[in-house]
Amino acid sequence: MAAVVTGNPVAGEERERRTAKEDNGPRRKRSTRVPPVVLAFVLVPLLAEAFWVFWPAVQGFYLSLTEWDGVSAPRFIGLGNFREMLHDDIFRTAVLDTVLWLLLFGGLSALLGLGAALLLQQERRGVGFYRAALFLPVVFSLVATALVWQAMYQPDGLINQALESVGLGSLTHAWLADQDTALYAVIVPALWRQIGYVMILYIAGLKGIDPVLYEASKVDGASRWQRFRHITLPQLRSVNAVVLSVIVIDSLRSFDVVWALTRGGPYHSSELLSTYMYSTAFQSLRLGYGSALAVVIFVLAFGVIASYLVRAFREAD
Amino acid sequence: MTTPPPGRRQFLAGTGAVGAAALLSGCVTSGSTGKSESGGDVTLQSNLSAPQAKTAMQKVVEDFGKQGGAKAKLNTVAAETFRTQLPTYLTSANPPDLYTWYPGSVAESYASKDLLLDVSDLWTKPELTGYSDALSKLCTSAAGKKVFVPTTYYWWGVFYRKSNFAKWGVDEPKTWDEFLDLCDTLKGKGVAPIGLGAGGNTPWVASSWFDYLNIRINGAAYHRELLAGKHRFDDPEVRKVFDRWGEALPYFDPNSTALPFQDATTALLQGRTGMMLIGTFFADSVPKEQVEDLDFFRFPVIDPKVPVAEEAPTDGYFASARTSRETEVKELMRYLATAESQEIYLKHSSGTALPTHPDAKDSGTALVKKGRALIEGAAELTQYFNRDSSDALQPPADAALTRFLAKPKEIGSILTTWQRESQKIWGR
Repeated sequence: MAAVVTGNPVAGEERERRTAKEDNGPRRKRSTRVPPVVLAFVLVPLLAEAFWVFWPAVQGFYLSLTEWDGVSAPRFIGLGNFREMLHDDIFRTAVLDTVLWLLLFGGLSALLGLGAALLLQQERRGVGFYRAALFLPVVFSLVATALVWQAMYQPDGLINQALESVGLGSLTHAWLADQDTALYAVIVPALWRQIGYVMILYIAGLKGIDPVLYEASKVDGASRWQRFRHITLPQLRSVNAVVLSVIVIDSLRSFDVVWALTRGGPYHSSELLSTYMYSTAFQSLRLGYGSALAVVIFVLAFGVIASYLVRAFREAD
Repeated sequence: MTTPPPGRRQFLAGTGAVGAAALLSGCVTSGSTGKSESGGDVTLQSNLSAPQAKTAMQKVVEDFGKQGGAKAKLNTVAAETFRTQLPTYLTSANPPDLYTWYPGSVAESYASKDLLLDVSDLWTKPELTGYSDALSKLCTSAAGKKVFVPTTYYWWGVFYRKSNFAKWGVDEPKTWDEFLDLCDTLKGKGVAPIGLGAGGNTPWVASSWFDYLNIRINGAAYHRELLAGKHRFDDPEVRKVFDRWGEALPYFDPNSTALPFQDATTALLQGRTGMMLIGTFFADSVPKEQVEDLDFFRFPVIDPKVPVAEEAPTDGYFASARTSRETEVKELMRYLATAESQEIYLKHSSGTALPTHPDAKDSGTALVKKGRALIEGAAELTQYFNRDSSDALQPPADAALTRFLAKPKEIGSILTTWQRESQKIWGR
């Protein structure tokens, strides 16, 4: 491969001199030829991606059309798994919980992330500390984060103790063991971690806005809200696309924090599509049905993001 | 001599070549379907991750290494990871050689797919010839091959602290009514009478109550048939189990589904709960000095006409049929079946289990003597919910039972859902 790439430098120079004198046709042809090393840089990662990502994904699609216990050979059943989903109560619960998660986790992390970014965007004394403090949870492993929160949510944990100490003992609760509170209790640590990440994205976006726009609007007498509404928000459109993609993907792949805290329980009350997929595939050993759930997650993530991007591009045109 | 730095193009070409080579070698390795290389240490994959049990396993492996033959390498994996990964281990091209696991229907599910090593010849060796017929039957696959070597078994019972019962002035109950009276007394003293520990990652502990109530009310034969799919979970017989459970429900610790069994054990030791239906494995996490203060009683008799059965799960080892170290693996399994290795394990663990070798000495404590008498006096033995059915049936059971503990009035719909979810597993 190296011989092909390097070639003979002297001959190469001569050829280039010659081509400069020749007509435009062959010259254009030569200039569009992709050097083999560039091709290698594209093809090698593509091959790696194809082998470790695309091929397993295609296999996943195939498995979603089978019934498989992970040990025997898979049995082809066509769309049987997808038909079963239509009558599966737990699947319905998981879809609803996932939508709720998307709205609460996604919506709140975008709102609070933007709020934090607006508060902390200006270079003031000590602002670095607050930025670091908000970003710190992103650094921790989510499973470690979940374990800390699990201890806090225990019946005699920090949260209940704090409630007792301020005279709100009547509100103490087995937060993770109650079907009414489990999902919301699990969202909190996920949010706690996500806000710092979204904040950083928005701060980067805010830093990119030309200050002249604000100065001009101040001269024109625009209020703070008007500046935010008519300058900041439109200027953040490209960051919003990134944030939305990140949030949708993170919501649909949210698994570790829920699994570590409640495993989708009690009685499927905090079941997300991802946890249902895992428990169906690896606990109940129904890998065909689990793969079908994975396909649904993929279609949802792809659908939401693609439809948003198409709309965003249309608006840009 | 100095080497000139490589040019940009050479560097790029070299990097590309290395990448392609790595990719190709990756393809070859991942596509390999051959057996693992022969020779080397026997890999013993263990799910015994409690500190005392892990140490005990290490001592056993070390002692095996001193025997002068093959050597073994212990690989301890967290119990939950081990359980979910087991099918992958056994079906992989390069599997670990030997596994801690369970005999009976759990082993049969793999044996029927030819994934387990046939160790019938081991059962003719002196180390195993003295084992009881019941154990021999438990370790035999439906095809008539021996696939398992049992090493220990343990019992389930209602555990309590002797000092606490003495302080509260209460005694062990024999019947269901006496049990409910005891619960009443403890509740009157401000103690949560029954601890459970079905929260966190151990919701399966709730199955012990279902198992015991079912074998006390409907008998062990019905229980096994139910778990094999020959009866329905929404049958009236199963409903009776929950009617009885409902009588005891007001006495359960309110944190029953909020704490894993390890935390529920702490609550028992600290006297915040009065008693706990649990297997002796919980003692592996109990400080040694407090183990002496532990005692237990038989799960109360509900219907005297029903023969008394007890849960006595057996633990031991099976090996992968794909191992390339068959001779070494069998050497290790033969060693594990000896009285000597089982005594080493019991000495370094909490010592509350019982050895399967007839000549092996148990720890000899009063607790263990009482446990042995409990099992020997039982008309029938069961293993445990997932061991008598399958691991796949455990999640629907966990969901149903935790739901019952929270909303006992919804038992009708709970049982219907439980049956429907289980049917999907039986029906495949």
